[in-house]
Amino acid sequence: MNASPSESEAEEAPDLVCQLDNVQGMVDAFTTVRWKRHQDAVVELSEHGVVLIVEETGCLQAKVYLQRELFVRYEFKGHGRPRFGVSLGLFVDCLNTFSVPGKSSVIEIQYPGPDMQLLVKSVDSLESCIYAEIRTRIPDTVSWDYNFEPAGSTPISFTVKSAALKEAIDDLEWPGSSIQISLQPNPPTVTFRGEGHGDLQIDFTYYVNTDLLVAFQCDRQVSYRYKYKFLRATTSNIPSAVIKDNRGSKLTIGRGGLLKVQHLVSVARPTTSHPRIDSAGYQQPSRIAYIEFFVKPEEDEATIHD
Amino acid sequence: MKFKAFLTENGVSLLEKRFLPALDKMGKICHLFLNRDRVFFLHNLLNGDGVQSIAQFSKEALFDDYRISSQYDDCIAFTVDISLLQRALRSSVSICTEFGNGPTANRLQIKLAKKLTKNSTQRLPFLTFETKGYKSAVIQDVPISSPLSRNQVLELQTALDMAQDLPQTLVQVPDLNQLQNFVDRMRHVGDLLNISISKYGDLHIQISTTLITLGAEFQKLLVIGEQADAPSEDRNLSAQTRAARAVLRGDAQSVQVSVKHFGKSLQCHLAKPDCAFYGIALQGACLTLVFQFFIPGTHRLDKSISMHCRLPVLDQGSS
Repeated sequence: MNASPSESEAEEAPDLVCQLDNVQGMVDAFTTVRWKRHQDAVVELSEHGVVLIVEETGCLQAKVYLQRELFVRYEFKGHGRPRFGVSLGLFVDCLNTFSVPGKSSVIEIQYPGPDMQLLVKSVDSLESCIYAEIRTRIPDTVSWDYNFEPAGSTPISFTVKSAALKEAIDDLEWPGSSIQISLQPNPPTVTFRGEGHGDLQIDFTYYVNTDLLVAFQCDRQVSYRYKYKFLRATTSNIPSAVIKDNRGSKLTIGRGGLLKVQHLVSVARPTTSHPRIDSAGYQQPSRIAYIEFFVKPEEDEATIHD
Repeated sequence: MKFKAFLTENGVSLLEKRFLPALDKMGKICHLFLNRDRVFFLHNLLNGDGVQSIAQFSKEALFDDYRISSQYDDCIAFTVDISLLQRALRSSVSICTEFGNGPTANRLQIKLAKKLTKNSTQRLPFLTFETKGYKSAVIQDVPISSPLSRNQVLELQTALDMAQDLPQTLVQVPDLNQLQNFVDRMRHVGDLLNISISKYGDLHIQISTTLITLGAEFQKLLVIGEQADAPSEDRNLSAQTRAARAVLRGDAQSVQVSVKHFGKSLQCHLAKPDCAFYGIALQGACLTLVFQFFIPGTHRLDKSISMHCRLPVLDQGSS
């Protein structure tokens, strides 16, 4: 009540006003990177879209890319790339209240509001309206630089069905502690190995499991160790609806063993027809949110400074 | 003190499929209060801090051959565990349907009884369900509290009379299922819910913490009782501003209740009411949720069944 209409009119246009017709897709994408209950995220806005960044100091970082093509309306008037901090848990819980099961609801997101808040409101009904104002904060200035560079001339990568990856990593909980990921070109194999309370080794052999290990690229043997809890964070929160989409996750090992895990989350408008029967235009690439995790390897004598 | 009656088929289906599941969500234990004409299921009437719920039935809605007598004006009241009542009723029903369909053979009789049990030397009070099948009879005893004393009954009767006042303005809840869904998701964000209800037919609910404000506004709802036309100059304002202005103008009331209580009251949709209304009692004493039931197949109010909830107010809100 304290802002009179004339005051708010005098203010500059907000950096971003955008509308989205699939809230659930956005909720799914953000949920995938929510590995802790209380977690701070940084949101970066640009003319290309919205990027949400979450990190565990120095070890693990996740990014969700929502390209402007995912939005039904996207008006960016900011200068440069405005950033703000927000509680991820609150943001996800809040967006979730906008998602009505079995109905596609259109929401409008605006930043900043009169008090630097993030404003969200439903816009698809005249007689009822849901709205939210989320307090934002100034983000930490320095964030760990995850400069991902390929190790060598050919990238070392493999693509595995997300469900299989999640299952493998879940199974490795038993040995726990650190997990060794090894790739060898001949025969093309990916090995996850945990040595802790016990030993467990999971092999994905390219020629044997072509339906699970969808793609494989590796010209020399590599092997790095990663902390189990960080590896687990990359898959444990993928919503089951996303797993059911049966997409692949791509894992790439970069210079120094930095591991990049990429997932795809559909932000397509929910169709009434069954998605797998829907033959015309399976799912447009523009309706996909890209999610990337970066996991630093454990440092031991073999991998320090390369 | 005597009570004996036969549950009608309609009575069984009302209780088993609709009211007991709803009442079970309100709390495990309730008062069952019987008088010459009516039967009441009452929650939290004698202790002030939970959601009060009052479900009442005329005796014809549930029973035939209804006989009651007591020293206190033929009133009987006791507490009972709803889930036990539900179990007894459910298995009695399965026996009834199992054994043919003669006109009187399989009637379900319900009565008060005192019986000796294995673990006690005293005779304990029970509500007994007796089903006579084709060749056998099944008796189920649901343990109940000792019947309330004359003073306690009087106290319950007084609390019941006080709980019957209706708010001056009631607005129809748009879609109970949808609202419940929304509130279920909303409860992750905070514990306290601000509600304002206006004579224009606006229902505004909001959770506000230091980090987030999350709310919903429903406009142009059906109003029962005192109503007014929404001022046209408010049309383009935000939901929050609109609600605040209506309160200042005296056209709306605002109260704060617990999100948990609010969610609980919405569970009453399990009783399959035909419509539901929210209103705020005079001076913001409580938030009232009134359910209406129609005579099946019509849009006429079934006066033999009624149900309403009263949610305790945590703060007077901004009014």
